[in-house]
Amino acid sequence: MPEDGVVREPMLEIYLFEATQLMEQLEEISIECEKNRKISTEAINEIFRIMHTIKSSSAMMMFNNIAVLAHSLEDLFYFIRESKAINIDFEKLFDLVLLGIDFIKGEVSKIENDCDADGLSEPLVLKSSNLLQDMKKANGVIIKDDCQAKKEDTKYYISSYEKLGSEIKQKYLARIFYEDGCEMENVRAYTVVHNLKEIASEMYHIPEDIIESDDSVETIRRDGFLIGFSTLTSKEKVEEQLNEIVFLKELELKQVEEYPLELKVLKAKIEINLEKAISEESVFEKRSDKLDINKEEVANIIKSGKQQSIISVNISKLDMLLDLVGEIVISEAMVTKNPDLEGMTLDNFNKASRQLRKLTNELQDVVMSIRMVPVSMTFHKMNRIVRDMSKKLNKEVELVIIGEDTEVDKNIIDHISDPLMHLVRNSLDHGLEDKEERIAASKPPMGKITLEAKNAGGDVFIIVSDDGRGLDRGKIYEKAKLQGLVTKPEGELTDKEIFSCILLPGFSTNESVTEFSGRGVGMDVVKKNIDSIGGAISIESLMGRGSTISIKIPLTLAIIDGLEVAVGTSKYTIPITSIRESFKPKENDVIADSEGNEMIMIRGQAYAIHRLHRIFNIDTEVTSSNKGIMVMVEDNTKVACLFVDSLIGEQQVVVKALPTYIKKAKGIAGCTILGDGNISLIIDVSGILDR
Amino acid sequence: MEGLFLKKVLITDDAAFMRFSLKTMLERNGFEIVGEAENGAIAAEKYKILKPDIVTLDITMPVMDGLQALKQIKAIDKSAKVIMISAMGQEGIVREAIISGATGFIVKPFKEETILKVFEKL
Repeated sequence: MPEDGVVREPMLEIYLFEATQLMEQLEEISIECEKNRKISTEAINEIFRIMHTIKSSSAMMMFNNIAVLAHSLEDLFYFIRESKAINIDFEKLFDLVLLGIDFIKGEVSKIENDCDADGLSEPLVLKSSNLLQDMKKANGVIIKDDCQAKKEDTKYYISSYEKLGSEIKQKYLARIFYEDGCEMENVRAYTVVHNLKEIASEMYHIPEDIIESDDSVETIRRDGFLIGFSTLTSKEKVEEQLNEIVFLKELELKQVEEYPLELKVLKAKIEINLEKAISEESVFEKRSDKLDINKEEVANIIKSGKQQSIISVNISKLDMLLDLVGEIVISEAMVTKNPDLEGMTLDNFNKASRQLRKLTNELQDVVMSIRMVPVSMTFHKMNRIVRDMSKKLNKEVELVIIGEDTEVDKNIIDHISDPLMHLVRNSLDHGLEDKEERIAASKPPMGKITLEAKNAGGDVFIIVSDDGRGLDRGKIYEKAKLQGLVTKPEGELTDKEIFSCILLPGFSTNESVTEFSGRGVGMDVVKKNIDSIGGAISIESLMGRGSTISIKIPLTLAIIDGLEVAVGTSKYTIPITSIRESFKPKENDVIADSEGNEMIMIRGQAYAIHRLHRIFNIDTEVTSSNKGIMVMVEDNTKVACLFVDSLIGEQQVVVKALPTYIKKAKGIAGCTILGDGNISLIIDVSGILDR
Repeated sequence: MEGLFLKKVLITDDAAFMRFSLKTMLERNGFEIVGEAENGAIAAEKYKILKPDIVTLDITMPVMDGLQALKQIKAIDKSAKVIMISAMGQEGIVREAIISGATGFIVKPFKEETILKVFEKL
C-alpha cells in the first residue's frame, strides 16, 4: 500500500496489487493442498496460472529475478499436470513453493518501499529444478537431453489447388529474415507457410521441420527462412503479401526457373501428408480448460480471490469520498438546524429537509459499505503462521475460522492484522501445550485455535481463543506486583482486571524469551494498535482449559451516533455505544468515600461519578447532583457515571480528529461541528474512566 | 489508414496487470480500447456486443482459454482480426491458433514497439 504522498506509476501500482493478491491466493491453496496431501486438478491449474501470470508480469516490469523463479515453479507444476504425477513429496514441494512465495513477497515489499528488488532467486531456482529432476525420476520419466523428433508426424503442406488447369504457374524463391527479438520464428515461418497455402500449389522450405524442432528457430535466425513455391499469383501480389509479414526484417524474393538443389532434394524426400483440419481429438485438447467442477475447499479459495464485476479503487479516493460525505452530513445539519429558522413555521421546508436527511443517510450508508471489506483475507493469512509455527514448535494445531464474511472498514482492517498475528503466535507459543502434555491432561492431542468475527450493535468483535493451558491468575498478579503495575491486593481485583495486566508495557511472565514471543513488547503494542482505532481488548481465561481474547472494534471511525450533552456553555458528544442509561439523580443517592471520591448507588451497585465540569474545568451553575443528569457509561472493564448539566439530544456526528497543534487531551477522542455551527468535543469514555 | 476513427480493440487476459499494460501501450498509439475481458467466454460475449476491430487473446486463462475463445469468435465473425498473446513454450497452441484463423501473435514479455509492429499491419 502506498504511503501517504507517494504516487506510483499506475502500471507498477497494478503490478504490486495483483502480485500481492496472487501470492496470498497461492499461499492459501498451497497450505490447503499440503494439509490434504492432495493436489486437485483445479488446484494445479490455479497454481500454474498464478505462476504463469507472475512470470509474465514480472518479466514485463523487468523484475527478472522474480520472473525466473516463477518460471521454474511453473515448470514444476506443468510437469505435475502433464504427467499426472502421483509420487509427490508434498512437504518438500510446498516448502519450496512457500519459500518462493516468501521471496516474491519480500521483493514486492522492497519495491513498495521504493527499494531495489535485488534479491537473488538463483538458490531457489536451483532447488526447484533439482526437485523437478527428483520428481521426474520418482514418476518414472526417463530424463533425456533432447526431445525425440517424431519424423512421422512432421507435416508438409500441399495445397488443394493442385490441378488448376493450364494457366502458367511461376516458381518463386523467397528468403525471409525476421527482426531480432520477435521470438518463435519457427511458428512465424509456419504462419507464412499457412498463409501461402492459399495461393501456392507446392511449397518446399528449409528448415523443413518448423513444427516439432526448436532448432529451426536458430536456423531461421541465422540463414533466414527459405521457401520455394509455385503460384499463379502475380509477382507484385506475392511481394505484397510477403511484405505484410509481421516482424519482417528482410525479404529476398525472385522468380526462378528451377528450385535450388537443396529444395529439389526435399521434394524428392517428401511424404505427402495432407493437412488435417485439427479435430476435437487433437492432442491439444488435453490443455483446454475442462472446468473440473470439483467442489473442494480449493474452489472456495479461488472464488474468494477471483470475483468478476469488481473494480479496484484507490483507497485515497474512498477516503476523499468519505470525507466529503461527512462534510455533507454536517452541512445538511447546518442548513436544517440553522438558527435563522428558529421560531418559523416551516411545514414544506421540514418535509423537504426530512427527505434530504433521508438521502444523506442513504448516501452515507452506501459509502460506508464501499469501504467495508470482509475479514476473511486477514483471517486466512493466519493459516500460514499456524502452519509454520506448528511445524517449528512440533505441536499439532488446527485453526478454525468463524464468521469470515463479517465486514470491517478498510482503514481498520489494516490495523488489526498485526495484533491478530501476535495473538495467534502467543496462543501457539505459550497457550497451547505440546502433544504429551495435552494427552496427560485428557485433552485431544491436536490443539485448537479459533478465530471468530461477529457483529454486535455498532461494533465488530474479533475473538481469538485457544484450548490451551489458560492464564495463571496468581502468577500474573505476582509479576504485575513485582513490576509495580498493581497496587491493590489480589483479592480485590477481578479476573478480567488481573488478566488485562498482561497488556501493560514491560510485562511478561515468560522465563524464556522465545523466537516468537516473550520479550514483553508484544501485548502492549497490541493494545496500542487496538486503542488507536477506538477499540478495546478484554481477556478471559480458565486455567487448564484455555484463553479467550476479545477485541471490540467500531464499525467505522468516521461517523458515530452520539448523545449531545451540555456542560456550562460547552457541548460534548458521548458515543451512544458507550452509554448504558441516563437518569436524573436524587441528592441522597450520591455518596462520597473517605478520599472524597463520589459514588452513586443504582439498584444495589455502586458506580463512580465523574463530574465533567470538574474534569474539564468548566464554569457552570449546575453543580448539585439533583440539578443535572447522570449518564451511565461503560468501556471495556469499567462502568461509571458521567455528570452533565443536561441532555440535548441524539445526533449523528462526523468524527474529526483533534488538530495536531493541540496536544492529546485525556478524555477527548475528537471533535465535531454541530448543526448550529458550534463545536462539540467527543468524549473518550475509556480516557475518563481510567482516571 | 482508414478514416478518422480510432481502431477499436478488445483486450482479453486474466491478469489485470497485462490488460493494463497492453491498454496503456495501445491507447498511447491511437487505438481505442472498447472493452476488457478476463477470460475467453467473456471475450466472446463482449465481441458480439462491442464488435471491435481487433481482439487480443491471452492463451492461458481460466473458464475458457485463448484458443477456444478464438474459435468461438471466428465462428461469430469469420473476418475477425485476432492477435494471440502467448508465452514461450506455447508454440503448439500458437500454431493451432494460426490454423484456426488467428491473424498474428505476440510473445510475452513484449515491448511497446513490438506491439505496434503487429498492430500497424492490421
